[in-house]
Amino acid sequence: MPETTIAERPAERAAAFVPPRVGLWSSYRTLLRWQIGQTGSDLPMIVVIQALLAAGVVVGFGFLIPDISPASALFLSTGTPTVLLMVVGLTIVPQGVVRARTDGTFTYLRSLPVARPLLLLADLTVWLLVALPSIAVAVIVAQLRYDLALSFDWPLLVAASLLVTVTATAVGYAIAVSFSPMMAQVLSQVLVFFVMLFSPITFPASQLPGWFQAVHDVLPIRPAADLLRAGLVSDVYSASLRDLLVLVAWCAVGLVLSTRALVRRA
Amino acid sequence: MSTDVLMIEGVTRRFGAVVANNQVSLRVRAGEVVGLLGHNGAGKTTLVSQVVGLLRPDAGAIRVGDVDAVADPAGARRRVALQAQAQAPINGLTPRTAIELAGRIRGLSPRRARAAAEELAAELDILPWFDQKALPEGGGLSGGVRRLTSFAMTVVAPTPLVVLDEPTNDIDASRRRRLWDAVRRIGDEGAGVLLVTHNVVEAERVVDELVVLDRGTVVAAGSPAALRGSHDTDLRLELQLHPDGADPSDPLDAVPVPVTRRVRTGRRVLLTVPSAQAAAAVAWATDLREQGRLDGYSLTPATLEDAYLAVTTSESADEAEPSDAPATEEASRA
Repeated sequence: MPETTIAERPAERAAAFVPPRVGLWSSYRTLLRWQIGQTGSDLPMIVVIQALLAAGVVVGFGFLIPDISPASALFLSTGTPTVLLMVVGLTIVPQGVVRARTDGTFTYLRSLPVARPLLLLADLTVWLLVALPSIAVAVIVAQLRYDLALSFDWPLLVAASLLVTVTATAVGYAIAVSFSPMMAQVLSQVLVFFVMLFSPITFPASQLPGWFQAVHDVLPIRPAADLLRAGLVSDVYSASLRDLLVLVAWCAVGLVLSTRALVRRA
Repeated sequence: MSTDVLMIEGVTRRFGAVVANNQVSLRVRAGEVVGLLGHNGAGKTTLVSQVVGLLRPDAGAIRVGDVDAVADPAGARRRVALQAQAQAPINGLTPRTAIELAGRIRGLSPRRARAAAEELAAELDILPWFDQKALPEGGGLSGGVRRLTSFAMTVVAPTPLVVLDEPTNDIDASRRRRLWDAVRRIGDEGAGVLLVTHNVVEAERVVDELVVLDRGTVVAAGSPAALRGSHDTDLRLELQLHPDGADPSDPLDAVPVPVTRRVRTGRRVLLTVPSAQAAAAVAWATDLREQGRLDGYSLTPATLEDAYLAVTTSESADEAEPSDAPATEEASRA
């Protein structure tokens, strides 16, 4: 062992050192673990809220309709999953994202060496896991309350569930990153009422004035409800291509706005 | 081959009418710890945000290692690890998992990430909380353990440049020392470290170079010794004035000893005097106190804080050149 050691000029070594590029899939998996770790503890709570909300819609709205007919009960029950998905997407998601924006999480993640769209993808994946049980919860609650004659169209149901969840989440995310935190909070609260009381999800659109029906033709809420309904009771309700296109358009807008907010430098 | 891991040249960034960074230039060489000092709102965090590509500069150039950080922010982010001033998002995670994940994000193998996390936890003395989950609303782990975890997450994988924004907030004295030792080690291993802080006294112990930012502009730069003044042996005579008392060192001719720097902050007047004049300075101050013109006084070795206050409280701050010529600056923003 030599008596004196001369540092092997670490300075030049470090300047030339370039950290490795991490693959997209590997980054995504790590981010997903990170997000699930963070949201995981809230998950049971969110499922309980969904169950309570489902019971509220199925049982509570039933009280509004005296001597509810089997047809009305079926309509009400099959709208419930959409109510839950919309509430999760347009209310719980923006509140979570606004919190991440204000407590520095958003900035922290954006300073990491990962492709920034992956941040959105990991977030969407977690919210998908949070929101998807809504559909099962709503159907189970409805089944307990009314004797429903469901007829699943599985491919349609699966596709519609994914599309509606991603759309609601992406639009909620876009709201949270496009407005000031305060404004986003207010908007997300207002949307609960709009979804539950002013949207033809649990009642037919024909009960609304013509101009309001026209508004709902271009909003994502009624198309989402009708698509899911067609997946749940395929022999009574059917899906329309127009509804599908409206939803896809909203989904794309939500994704583009969210990605832009993550990627761009102020 | 250049050994610069960070080169900032003439960076200007405005927010509306506010100029947060005005023609800022600084460099961090490999193996060097550079302190970026400044009051709250001096523009430190704005500058750091541009290095990691969260903000885009209005003018100027930033190079991180071998890449242009303005043109290739993604390339820059791979070469710099940032410990932001806000706590890292670790709720729901244990420090172990958080540090491992941060290592995985930067390309460490699972085995290497695990080993590096354990080494850092031992180095920073956070092993007792290593497997304890951080809970929302600050539960589970204290602010200090969270901050140390953030630090470990930042340095778990080697990067050419490490940026630490107020890393010692909330941390107790003994672990603070461990953190500074770790910062020094990282520098000695060859990384460049940019240390953002408003804590002058602590920074003095670890940094090789200092850059002082005041209202967006670099007002001083150099080694701590150079900033402290040309004579390391200078003394600081601090006069505590009465609440409404006149300043006995105003004008400076009234002081019977040569004063190389004078700073007034509120009721405190800091005079830098040569050590040979210690006896005369004490005699003068004692006399003033006996006449009831002072609340008290003290004579201590000059610190970096004196130099720092001199450049950041001076009204004509941009002209101050404290590194070579000690300025006989009048500062009266009391």
